[in-house]
Amino acid sequence: MRYTFVPHPITGTAAEICRKYLQGNDPVTGKPVLEEIIAALTVPITEEDTKTGFIERPTPRLVEPDTEDNLHRIFLENGWTDGLPIVLPTEARVAEMLKGTSHEPDEIVGRMQPSSPHELWSYTVEKVAVNAVMAGAKPEHLPVILALASMGVTSISTSTTSFACMAVVNGPVRNEINMNSGIGALGPFNHANAVIGRTWTLMSINLAASGKIGETYMGSQGNNYNYNNNCMAENEEALPDGWNPLHVQKGFKLEDSTVSTFLGWGFTHPDQSFGKDFAPQIPFWLKFVSPFSSTTLLLDPTIIHQLKNNEGFNSKEQLIDWIQKNTKVTVGDWMDDFYAVQNFILPTARRGVEPFASWMKLPKDTEIPQFPSASRINILSVGGQTNLFWQAGDFGYLSTASVDKWR
Amino acid sequence: MKRRINTWSWLTALLFLMPSLAGISRAQAQEITVLNPLGQPPAIVRVPMAPRIADLEGKTIYIVDIGFTDTHQLFTEMQKLLAEKYPQTTWIVRKKIGTYFDDDPKLWAEIKEQGHGMIMGVGH
Repeated sequence: MRYTFVPHPITGTAAEICRKYLQGNDPVTGKPVLEEIIAALTVPITEEDTKTGFIERPTPRLVEPDTEDNLHRIFLENGWTDGLPIVLPTEARVAEMLKGTSHEPDEIVGRMQPSSPHELWSYTVEKVAVNAVMAGAKPEHLPVILALASMGVTSISTSTTSFACMAVVNGPVRNEINMNSGIGALGPFNHANAVIGRTWTLMSINLAASGKIGETYMGSQGNNYNYNNNCMAENEEALPDGWNPLHVQKGFKLEDSTVSTFLGWGFTHPDQSFGKDFAPQIPFWLKFVSPFSSTTLLLDPTIIHQLKNNEGFNSKEQLIDWIQKNTKVTVGDWMDDFYAVQNFILPTARRGVEPFASWMKLPKDTEIPQFPSASRINILSVGGQTNLFWQAGDFGYLSTASVDKWR
Repeated sequence: MKRRINTWSWLTALLFLMPSLAGISRAQAQEITVLNPLGQPPAIVRVPMAPRIADLEGKTIYIVDIGFTDTHQLFTEMQKLLAEKYPQTTWIVRKKIGTYFDDDPKLWAEIKEQGHGMIMGVGH
């Protein structure tokens, strides 16, 4: 395929500037853009361009032997790290890591890609173990890491918008490997939380070729969450009766161990009043979230107990249903003020996809749900009950995998 | 005499230490083998390119906008510039249906039937 580039971005750029871009040079090749377009249409194809078949690209199992210092430099220069020091994956260390699972080293775990148009890379149990060693993980962390890898979700998406991810661990494995779901669960205070989250980043870089700036990564500002992916355990023990942990909500048993993935951009904490009920304040908290996105509330168990005991919410589902019905946006704001709605929802609405097609036809001051379905709202229990604290973000639920399968 | 003994003691100690120091130096420079952390990319499937047109005279070329919001102006300007430079060619700008995730088989059929070439553009 023949490509030509113009300067970036184009979105919202005036026509006269676009014209100048087209009259100028391709920023990649330095050649005039219009000449390249005409050449792409008219220059005859070569014999090379007509070839068919496959080009194999085998990955060697080992890196050329070298000194430790040189190998650290090679890993850094090759873009095989997150920029921080790593543990070199010697055969002995990887063999030790593999003791954390009963699965064979050459078993294929899954396939992953930087984003949907990119090619899918595949990886074995051994390759996952290599990245786990690099991140500083221990064999007991490997089943969670393998379960994470099995879902084939990169934590570093190509998008220019700088996506982030979140990994949430549920079930008995949380306590078996001493994960933190209490005080400071989302901070740098726990080995398992730290290395499982970091391994996801290294796996995304090395097992899916994510994060190659200018090739597979175009996030304009980047996202600091990409270092650890908000890796945490849900505080299940602090949930009141009737409030199920995430994995039970997703159809697993309480005694199952799982890891779940979420995708979004960020979390924040708008101010609140402690003198009022919490639930009526939630729609106000969520005003910053695009109606295109999902939302995830990270609630300290103190708030959850208040929501149950003082405000009558007997389950996560009941609260989610209330939020979905009471968090609204006007049709005018929905259509005019959100780029993601304009880019992703309105084109489908124009093709007749409901409920968006009907919403488009309503008067502009009509209120519609900010989140079209309850499945777009998630609630997680996390924190050590030192404050009535919460965070809300535009993270959407993606998938859950069994950890037990990978023991 | 005492000083001479001390000097000899130091030299003797150094002689014993030298092999150990050399060992440390060798260990630092010792080569080790580590595993490659990269996954397995799929084989590249080679798809032959379509033959190109010999010239633009009298031809119809479609300019297809994949539909990213607020980028259509790039393609209308492209159409204007190409029409100015190549007036004997028909330059048609079309926007693909739906979002950029959606296929548009009707448009592809139309281009195959009525066009001689296509420029597909991704404004972003």
